[in-house]
Amino acid sequence: MNILFQPFILGLRHHFLPGGRPALRTIGILMAGALLFYGLYLAGLKTITYFHSQNELGVILSLKIFQMAWVIVFTMLIFSSMVTGVSALFLSRDNEIIFAAPVPPKDIFRMRYVTTTIYISWMMMIFSLPVFGAFGTVFGAGPLYLVLLAPTVLSIAATATAIGLGVTILMVRLFPARRTRDIVVYLSLLFGILLYLVIRLLRPEELADPERFPDFIEYLSSLSTPVSPLLPPSWAAGLLSGFLQDHVVDWLPVSLLLLTPMVFYFAGQWIMSRFFFTGFSRAQESFGGSRTFRAPAYRPAPMLWLFRKEVKMFVRDSSQWSQLFLVGALIVVYLYNFKVLPLDRSPVPAAAVANLIAYANIGLTGFIIASLAARFVYPAIGAEGSGFGLILTAPLSPERYMLYKYLFYVIPFTTLALILLVASNHLLKISGPMWWISLGTGLVITWTVVAMALGFGAVYADFKTENIAAVQGSFGSILFLFSAVTFELLTIFTAALPTYKLVRSWRWGIHLSSPVLIETTGVLSVILLSGLVISLFSLRKGSNMLRVHVH
Amino acid sequence: MNILEITNLTKRFGSHVAVNNISLAVRRGEIYGFLGPNGAGKTTTIKIVAGLLQPDTGTVRINGHDLAADPARCKQDTGYVPDRPWLFEKMTGMEFLQFIGGLYNLDADRFNSATTHFLQLFDLDEWRDHLIESYSHGMRQKLIMTSVLMQNQPLLVIDEPMVGLDPKSARLVKEMFKQKARGGTAIFLSTHSLEIAEELCDRITIITDGSLRISGTMETLRREAGRQTSDLEDIFLELTGAWEMQEVIAALKERS
Repeated sequence: MNILFQPFILGLRHHFLPGGRPALRTIGILMAGALLFYGLYLAGLKTITYFHSQNELGVILSLKIFQMAWVIVFTMLIFSSMVTGVSALFLSRDNEIIFAAPVPPKDIFRMRYVTTTIYISWMMMIFSLPVFGAFGTVFGAGPLYLVLLAPTVLSIAATATAIGLGVTILMVRLFPARRTRDIVVYLSLLFGILLYLVIRLLRPEELADPERFPDFIEYLSSLSTPVSPLLPPSWAAGLLSGFLQDHVVDWLPVSLLLLTPMVFYFAGQWIMSRFFFTGFSRAQESFGGSRTFRAPAYRPAPMLWLFRKEVKMFVRDSSQWSQLFLVGALIVVYLYNFKVLPLDRSPVPAAAVANLIAYANIGLTGFIIASLAARFVYPAIGAEGSGFGLILTAPLSPERYMLYKYLFYVIPFTTLALILLVASNHLLKISGPMWWISLGTGLVITWTVVAMALGFGAVYADFKTENIAAVQGSFGSILFLFSAVTFELLTIFTAALPTYKLVRSWRWGIHLSSPVLIETTGVLSVILLSGLVISLFSLRKGSNMLRVHVH
Repeated sequence: MNILEITNLTKRFGSHVAVNNISLAVRRGEIYGFLGPNGAGKTTTIKIVAGLLQPDTGTVRINGHDLAADPARCKQDTGYVPDRPWLFEKMTGMEFLQFIGGLYNLDADRFNSATTHFLQLFDLDEWRDHLIESYSHGMRQKLIMTSVLMQNQPLLVIDEPMVGLDPKSARLVKEMFKQKARGGTAIFLSTHSLEIAEELCDRITIITDGSLRISGTMETLRREAGRQTSDLEDIFLELTGAWEMQEVIAALKERS
């Protein structure tokens, strides 16, 4: 029943082609997307060419990375389809219209399935296709490789969504608890599954650990065997890496990749028809039920009440706080990778590599902070919704409002940055100036990025949005991410040389010359100052826009 | 003939019994008022009838079909207007109507004539191609009302029909309901407006704490409340145990 797709298609059309013509915004997004696509392709090409040009081991390692990338993509897709599935299937507000209509559940499943596949995989397509495409160029696989690649990516996305949605319906049906508890239990379980899959299936520690194998041939063969022959990403990696090496199509994985999404789709449809309604009925039973929330004694303190409101809005909205599980998983996986780094087997002195990684880690931490800020801080102004008018008609200036919001978000983000930086520095056994530089630069990046997220969020605030998670894909959010990442990269590039000189002097016990000292202090001061200026500018610009919104 | 039959319906939310073993029937051509204070179980009952909530026990039959056994058939025969007119923000009014028409398999002739008629009637004609996000609350309410009225189903389930409507539209909606009922449509109507209930409804049921307090015509209700000349507001306050509020209101009036 194609009519169910109308809201989705028309919504997209009105968004990107208002009045039947592409909007300036659409052209901008397309160009930025194309640029990103090409940039990733070039980066992929450079990295894979490097591996490929080493020796036989380099080729095998690059194929191993290829395999691991497929597992990561598949795992992340299943995870995000499960998280998206809860809100798409059970909490969507259009359910009230669609489910009251005489539409069989299997048709609703088809609509949710297709739209969820698109929602969760478009980003993955942009990021993975150029990288996987680069493998084809390096291995000289020709255009047939691309013909194989596109449907393979699609099949993996379709399989992951069908599994994710099916499991979601079963889980919500099986747990005999109320909505919130359902979701807590469910997400805890997902959290566990994700950790297990990422850590156990990837086995990153084996990547650079030839000593675990009696001879080199066994090491090589262990690297080239698929992760687990029963998983769809292994079929995808097997099919494509086979083609990359021998230019031969293996029809077994082709048929498996064609059939599996269909099997899971029909299984999902059956599960939907059989189990959905009870779960859906239960999902509407409002949060808290007969629970009471005792209000604290009143005190006239605007900042306190704004903070309190933010906390309440966050903890009472399961679609918000459930994302913390994702953040938790991210931190554990992130730190685990540092733990298993085989620094002691590196041909370069371990301390030098550790310092280099610690420096790169500033950028990685910054990237995580920027992604999380796009998810939590950027939508914070628009999320006020119709209540925003109430806030700004109160005797609270937009500047003060922005400042309170900033203070509210900067505290947890600082804590997170500190955890990531201090813990990874500890695992890398970093001490001396690098410890302080990584912490200082990391914090300046964090504080600036949070202010930028808030500023962009205020300028592009959408007070009518229903789904806060969907704000992430909006134009303003993407623009914020680009700007934040640009600021981070500029900061890291600017500080690289003085940091290198400083760390080298410290490691070799060389007395620091005055020019080096002045250069280092100067660069670090410039970074601090530019962070401060950008933060103030973002908050000020945001406050000014809030005035425009309100009038 | 009964178009809607609710038998021994119960719905619990945890330990709270939202709807407690209620039974009622709405006849063809009847406007049936469903009244009660906030949190009495009206919306829960309505959501069960609209097929949005699963009851713990009890049955709902619509136009002779069991809702649990044949939900698609029952939904085809039911037009539902929710209390909050949430619509697809990024669709235009006309696209929304087409979407709903498509969901209910409404034939093209009926769709064209009915939408033209109702959009003009509700002064929505010039807004039909605007995005719904630019609509006011009242316009949304009128649009969703159009999406239901255009279909001519045997049962209308309406939760708070007049919220956000201007006086002209409110009068129009009331006339529509009367006309629909004369044409044989059964209307199950939940409202807080006692004037509307008194003006429109053939029979009224008052629900308190999930249980039916009383059902019948205005005459039955008056008799039950022991107030031969009272209007529905007095009867409602009496039967829902809020009569003492009247004294407070009278005292306030005196003081002012």
